[in-house]
Amino acid sequence: MSIDLKAVEQLATDQSSLKAAAGLAKPAKWSGVGTSRDGALVWGECSGSGANPYRVMADLRDLGNKCTCPSRKFPCKHVLGLLWLNAEEIVPFVPADTPDWVSDWLGRRRPGGGKPKPADDVPVAAKDVHAAQVALPDDAEDPKAAARREAASAKRAEDTERTILDALDALEQWIGDQLRMGLPPFIDDATARCRRIAARLVDGKAGTLAGRIDELPGRLLALPAGDRPRAAVVELGKLVLLARAFRATPRDAEIRRAVATAEARETVLAHPDALRVSARWEVLAEQVQTRRDGLVSQTSWLLNLGATGPRFAMLLDFFPASVGRRGSVFTPGERFQGELVFYPAQRPLRALLVQRAAAEAATAPEWPAPDNALTDALSEPLLAEPWTLEVPLLLPAGRIALDSAGHAWWRSADGSTILPVAGDTEGLWRGTDLMQAAAIWSGSRLTFLAAQSRWGRIGDG
Amino acid sequence: MAEAIYDGLGAVLTRWTMGMAAAPAASMWRDELGAEPAEAELRLLALSSQFLGVVVTAEPPVDLRVLSDIAALALPTVPDATRALVRRNLTTMKDARLRNEMLRFLTTRGWTVHPGDWMPVASDEETPDVYAPWRDWTEMAASAGAAGTRMPDVLSAENWADYWPAVRKAALANLRIRDPDAARVLLEAKLADMGAEERLRLLGLLAIKLSNADAVFLGSLAAADRAPKVRGLAASLLSRLGYGATAGEDVAELARFFEVKSKGLLRRTQVLVAQTLKTPAQAARRRVLFANAEVAAFAAALQVPLDDLPAIWNWGEDLLADVEFVSMVERSGSDPLIAALLDTLERKDVREIQVLFALRSRLDPARRVELAYRALRGGESFQTALRIAGGCGRIDGAIDMRAGVTLTGSLGEAEGGKPAELAAELQALGLIASRTAAIHAMERLGTAGLLRADPRLDMLRLNAALDDSGVKE
Repeated sequence: MSIDLKAVEQLATDQSSLKAAAGLAKPAKWSGVGTSRDGALVWGECSGSGANPYRVMADLRDLGNKCTCPSRKFPCKHVLGLLWLNAEEIVPFVPADTPDWVSDWLGRRRPGGGKPKPADDVPVAAKDVHAAQVALPDDAEDPKAAARREAASAKRAEDTERTILDALDALEQWIGDQLRMGLPPFIDDATARCRRIAARLVDGKAGTLAGRIDELPGRLLALPAGDRPRAAVVELGKLVLLARAFRATPRDAEIRRAVATAEARETVLAHPDALRVSARWEVLAEQVQTRRDGLVSQTSWLLNLGATGPRFAMLLDFFPASVGRRGSVFTPGERFQGELVFYPAQRPLRALLVQRAAAEAATAPEWPAPDNALTDALSEPLLAEPWTLEVPLLLPAGRIALDSAGHAWWRSADGSTILPVAGDTEGLWRGTDLMQAAAIWSGSRLTFLAAQSRWGRIGDG
Repeated sequence: MAEAIYDGLGAVLTRWTMGMAAAPAASMWRDELGAEPAEAELRLLALSSQFLGVVVTAEPPVDLRVLSDIAALALPTVPDATRALVRRNLTTMKDARLRNEMLRFLTTRGWTVHPGDWMPVASDEETPDVYAPWRDWTEMAASAGAAGTRMPDVLSAENWADYWPAVRKAALANLRIRDPDAARVLLEAKLADMGAEERLRLLGLLAIKLSNADAVFLGSLAAADRAPKVRGLAASLLSRLGYGATAGEDVAELARFFEVKSKGLLRRTQVLVAQTLKTPAQAARRRVLFANAEVAAFAAALQVPLDDLPAIWNWGEDLLADVEFVSMVERSGSDPLIAALLDTLERKDVREIQVLFALRSRLDPARRVELAYRALRGGESFQTALRIAGGCGRIDGAIDMRAGVTLTGSLGEAEGGKPAELAAELQALGLIASRTAAIHAMERLGTAGLLRADPRLDMLRLNAALDDSGVKE
């Protein structure tokens, strides 16, 4: 397993990180450099300003990384320096046993990821010791204590559920109030009003829903003024539908994810029903948005180029805005063979990347054909999960047209469908046929992610 | 059914807009809403939301306009594998001058930028002519026009109006190169119908293959055009042909800033010496006089043969005067005078970048590259060479010249020294070096301690990756 320099550059949060890393990519700065026997992990100790060297480690499979330095940049210059050393082969990375500090980190970031499986040539004695540790009997636990713990856990879950239901009651009351006071005042004062109810929802442990309501004014204000009352009705109605769905099935993981919080990575990976898909993927686009709650959401949209499994995957990550811009491990347009685990859902979309092979450049258009009638593709997800905000779509051949005000519309080549377009479609987007396009349908506007044209791929990257 | 719901929703939305309960007006869903008023409003909201979200989309206007296809250019777009590098370099080059040098570099190599990565705007006059169809497309896209853009086979008075301004100008330039008389005749026929700015732009094309055949036309413009700038340009072009204006009061005043002296033991050699300027006002006045004077009139006022002027100029004593004088020759000197000036500069070993740069527009690309070589051999920087030659991408062995030695030598200390200067030098090197020289430079810089992936090497990396399929001059 290896990493190339391009990936290192893409990881860097900014040019200065890259430059600082260049200063560290010197053999004299490093000690204890090594790699696991399967080549997936690299590590090293880098001398810094402190008394002890910083311990730096990275997983080349998904470019996860860790450093003990206090930098608030992620990844820090030491991680970049280590990856640079590896990519440029500036120092030899001798295969060795994984140090404990690397294993500990790995163990924390994914289940079963502690010490890597020993290679075949590892002495049996070592295996026995490890096996003995793993095989420690856990049936010695007091059954009463276990029952108490389970009961306490159930009580906590019940309390949380009650708190969320109370918050949803408050939300519905708030929605009723907005209708009573009229839609125009709501639209005019949406930011402050949404802020208040979002705060109430945060207190009520409905954090995801709070974030969604916090972003509602932004979505409304992005529309032409004439479209806002209708959009406000749609947005508020979806909230009612989601609240009702939660009341009906509060233990449903998918609905809980939309209201309270998403499962931890480990929970998804360990879930028996989580869909695992190994396929060739194309990175369609990356959307980075600074939210009102101070978090930055980084969404990578992937297109499944294979014949089976979900057509799209959405990798979603959050980090504090105070960290600054964070590099991506993807370049829009690149393709790779990888394994994804999808969060359990009726229509799996959000996923985790668990295995990734080396990137390849996108060349000829190899996108799968849209497999639904367009009208069905637009409506089916909204009928199945009426609170859904975004539906990724593969559009058939079409072209951008402009109305007299300069607003863009996508028109299918056969003229049967015309949809309004959101966002920026300058230059080439407007001056060529789009043989196929990937876009997100919000229920009122299309936002393009990428397209295939006679000029090749169009999109960022 | 959907129609009935849609019709019923009109009243519902009106009531919510006014802050009134809407459930009583939603007869189509009466059974589903129930009797409790607050609950009925929420149910109505949920049903309306889903109906509007799933069934109703915005009505497209009837007057949708589709823009014409963006034209394929005369040169291919860069290979896909290098597009990311092109994008990164374009991002780095915020300065329009530098960006245009990169576009010139690509054009010289036989490539153009992919339109998904960058497109010019209509006002980007300095972009290479190969992008003219895209400039016109952006202008057309911004206007209500729907006509396509294309390159004419042969521009003529009949098809003149079929083309947008940028393509038309490029076509006229091509015609001037192939058939100077035909281009002039066409311009004579069309110039009167244009605005002053366009007249000025197109008249400038007569500098290509300027000859005595153009004199009558230029004379008429110099005497009677409505715009002073057009009259001035026509006069300076006439001056290049030797039809200089007579020395007026301003030229006489300019001549008084200089004195013809004799030097040498036998006092047989003449030299034109600049008077020492005593105040900034004097310097400013001399600059203005130079900017408006023609070299032939200046020589006449000094009573010196025009062809002797470069040789008797006292080079190197007053740099400002040198630059002002060369600028005047560049604007109004004939081609033989330019050649004589270049010979003199070489003979007298004049290397000042400002002096050489003032002549740039009158030199063909090969001559500019030659001057850039000379500057590099004289110890000038890569940035200086870039200013003279532009993004030529054809200089061999650049890293082995003194600027290269300085560059590699400074790498160790550069991080704490002048990093911006180092980055600019690397970028300039990437723009002027031939492909072989770029590959060689990458190796040398790697040996000197620069990492291959260092982003400051992006321009060199692009240079090294790009086949040279351009026309060799």
